[in-house]
Amino acid sequence: MNTVPGCESKPADLPPIRRLVIACGNTLRGDDGVAWHIAAQLDQVAAQTGDEIVVTQQFLPEHAEQISLADVVVFIDCSALTTAGCISSLSIDPAEQLPRILTHHLDPAALLRLALDLYGQIPLRRTLITVGGESFAMTEELSAAVRNAIPAATLAVQAALS
Amino acid sequence: MSQTITIDPVTRLEGHGKITLKTNEQGEVSEAYFTVTQVRGFEKFSEGRPYYEMPSLMARICGICPVSHLIASAKACEAIMSVEIPTTAAKLRSALNMAQSIQSHALSFFYLSSPDLLLGMDADPVDRNIFGVAQKNPELGRAGVGLRRFGQHIIELLGRKRIHPGWVVPGGVTEPLSAVKRDEILALLPEAYANIELALKWYKEIADRFAEEAAHFANFPGAFLGMVGEDDGLEFTDGKLRLIDATGAILEDKLDAAHFDDVIGEAVEPFSYMKFPYYKPLGYPDGAYRVGPLARLNIASHAGTPLADTELKEFKKLANGPVLGSFYFHHARLIDILYGIEKIEQIFSDSTILDTHVRATAGVNRLEGAGIAEAPRGTLMHHYKVNENGQITWANLVIATGQNNNAMNRGVLQAAQQYVKGDKLEQGMLNRVEAVIRTFDPCLSCSTHAFGQMPLSISLVAPDGTLLHELRRG
Repeated sequence: MNTVPGCESKPADLPPIRRLVIACGNTLRGDDGVAWHIAAQLDQVAAQTGDEIVVTQQFLPEHAEQISLADVVVFIDCSALTTAGCISSLSIDPAEQLPRILTHHLDPAALLRLALDLYGQIPLRRTLITVGGESFAMTEELSAAVRNAIPAATLAVQAALS
Repeated sequence: MSQTITIDPVTRLEGHGKITLKTNEQGEVSEAYFTVTQVRGFEKFSEGRPYYEMPSLMARICGICPVSHLIASAKACEAIMSVEIPTTAAKLRSALNMAQSIQSHALSFFYLSSPDLLLGMDADPVDRNIFGVAQKNPELGRAGVGLRRFGQHIIELLGRKRIHPGWVVPGGVTEPLSAVKRDEILALLPEAYANIELALKWYKEIADRFAEEAAHFANFPGAFLGMVGEDDGLEFTDGKLRLIDATGAILEDKLDAAHFDDVIGEAVEPFSYMKFPYYKPLGYPDGAYRVGPLARLNIASHAGTPLADTELKEFKKLANGPVLGSFYFHHARLIDILYGIEKIEQIFSDSTILDTHVRATAGVNRLEGAGIAEAPRGTLMHHYKVNENGQITWANLVIATGQNNNAMNRGVLQAAQQYVKGDKLEQGMLNRVEAVIRTFDPCLSCSTHAFGQMPLSISLVAPDGTLLHELRRG
């Protein structure tokens, strides 16, 4: 992972590590909502761990402030590019190239850039976990491949948080 | 040679639209059309549904101002039920409506329009967005994010969801406010005040740089419609309508929802799916009028809250009579936000706000009902007819953006005539034409959103259809 200005390690005597999960997707569009299902699994233990779980249909500029306050952030999203059920974990840095037109779409790297520019700091550890999807039809049901990937994806998120 | 120029779609709006400009033989812009390319089907597919489903159903029209649709719809249902809702419920709804206006205005001003104002109309489109704002003036960017979060958080606290809360129902609201939530909301106020103070100060510092745009951005005489309270002050939720002309003379006053369509008609033009409301006594198009923040400030005698009163007095000094330039929608939007924050403070400081009686009940007592609320973009009207079983047999919505439709078209023409010259298209020229539309903050998303990014193209087309020149981005 590259070190970027604004995300230096904290001294050991500071408060406990703040962990943030941002799960993004549309539960009405089949596999696109898988992040919400993973977040629901994480929610069951978040009360004990104190982790902050945010579920959202889109990454929004308003998330930048929450991100800036965290020490560890994990973004969860569905990927239309990888094989259905395939879990990918990627360390991400703030975007250098920003969208030419900002309308209704932000990605985690752009959001990190926004957090850094607005608030001057971003988490030391930043991970994007994706689950490959295959069905984005108008349904609240996940495909079997994606549904079966949820336990492993949940573990991947927990590993990224730990 | 005459040409046709198309900007399709227009960016940094809510929804999708396109602009078509036609030039005459001298190369001057002679006609302009702002076209909304989507169909809104809510009035039709709601037929047959029980009236009490309408607020939640109709709020799905839009994710930006669902609260206004909830409130206007619930009020139409209450007219059908012939009930008066409990006072505390009315106050809570008013607070919810203000929270929505704050978050929506923050989106419009800081995310969509401040890039033009901060970086300039001729800045590279790559930089002219919220990222550019964050890099050049992070304090301003943080204020915008903070105000949007403030409004959304209050909506979430009251309605349990930031978008499409189901809390507003025919008869009132589903549950009373807890002291914990009230205290949480009150604790948010200092930061909100600081953010809007910063934004107003910044806007006043830079506004003079845009004197030319202010003179040519939909700046013309015309009427203004909006809601006022019993004391003639600003009111977003439970007032009556006032229509004034360009001199400030009152054309209609104390107009209630039941009589809205006695005086307001809706024209249709072949180039757009959006309707063109007008004041019937003046006919169409002479009876076209504007709604929204600028209209609200023009029709109200005062704000009704201390800080907004001061700002409104200063605003009214911009003109000897109503402020006619639509560029000043930006300024008015900030005053709306300030008023909203003060109103929220007033409402949640009221000891009766924790009263638990927040819903009235009744069945169908009338077969027709209409409701009005001020949405962020202006007056919103829902009008329903039901059968004796309470099923919708007819519905009509008059949305704020539609009521600004004629003014937006006139504004595009005015700006295009000022800035679009010759047969070479420049980005700054294109952006100024778009920016006229952005001053109105139109919300075109009343039925659907398309996937993906919104590219923008502007084309010059000769009378024979030959494409002469095209610019495209996205």
